[in-house]
Amino acid sequence: MKILIADDSRVMRQIVIRTLRQAGHGGHDIVEAENGRQALEMVRTESPDLVLSDWNMPEMNGIDCLSALRASGSTVAFGFVTSEGSEEMRERATSAGAAFLIAKPFTPEAFDDALRSVI
Amino acid sequence: MTAVDAPAVEDLLAVTEDVWLALVGDDDPLLPRAVPPGSPFDAAAWSSVTTISGGWQGAVTVELDEALARRLTTQMLDLPADEAPSDSDVADAVGELVNMVGGNVKSLMPGPSVLSLPAVAAGRAAFASDTALACRLDLVWRDAPLRISVHIPQEGPR
Repeated sequence: MKILIADDSRVMRQIVIRTLRQAGHGGHDIVEAENGRQALEMVRTESPDLVLSDWNMPEMNGIDCLSALRASGSTVAFGFVTSEGSEEMRERATSAGAAFLIAKPFTPEAFDDALRSVI
Repeated sequence: MTAVDAPAVEDLLAVTEDVWLALVGDDDPLLPRAVPPGSPFDAAAWSSVTTISGGWQGAVTVELDEALARRLTTQMLDLPADEAPSDSDVADAVGELVNMVGGNVKSLMPGPSVLSLPAVAAGRAAFASDTALACRLDLVWRDAPLRISVHIPQEGPR
């Protein structure tokens, strides 16, 4: 399985990769994007099976990236990893076509539960 | 906007402890630090701020001691003990810290609101003159200090 991690923070991308490993999902191919626009392009060029995306990013945020993907016909599994876990944000994520939203701070268990829903 | 529209200090502490636990584990917990009210932070070498606007308005600021910021970055990036993090890595880590605390503060307050991207400075934080301190935490991690504060728009004519 190939996972695209989109976050403008290199530190956070490292933490997500580490947490995936701790959750028992360390064997996947990982590719990284620094913002939503790059993620949008890399879904086309890298064909990931899952996108794990931050919400707040420069250039293009996560929700606009997801909307653009769905508008282009992409059905790639998409989940948010974001510091904003309110009900309002969860509803917006679900309405836009996200499979899940993992709120920061997160645990390996939260990642395992979320990934099992799309694997 | 009144002071009751600010997060409770207990909630800010709970959010911060949760973030810290996720970032660095539970080997070295955050401890309280006694600082008189009104005292400027005495050790800031790094600071970061994020603003929340919409259903609730406020700014969340983190100020960190230099050594603490570098230790935190080392731990977040899982760097070897003998590898010093670069300034850009420290800025990234300090920005992510305020993003996580700010995002959780946003979730505690009335919405809908928008969280800004974090702004990070190597130095002490600057606070807008039309805001008032609503909530403040002074903490210690591995003998080094940090401060987290929430500012809200000041009421009435200035």
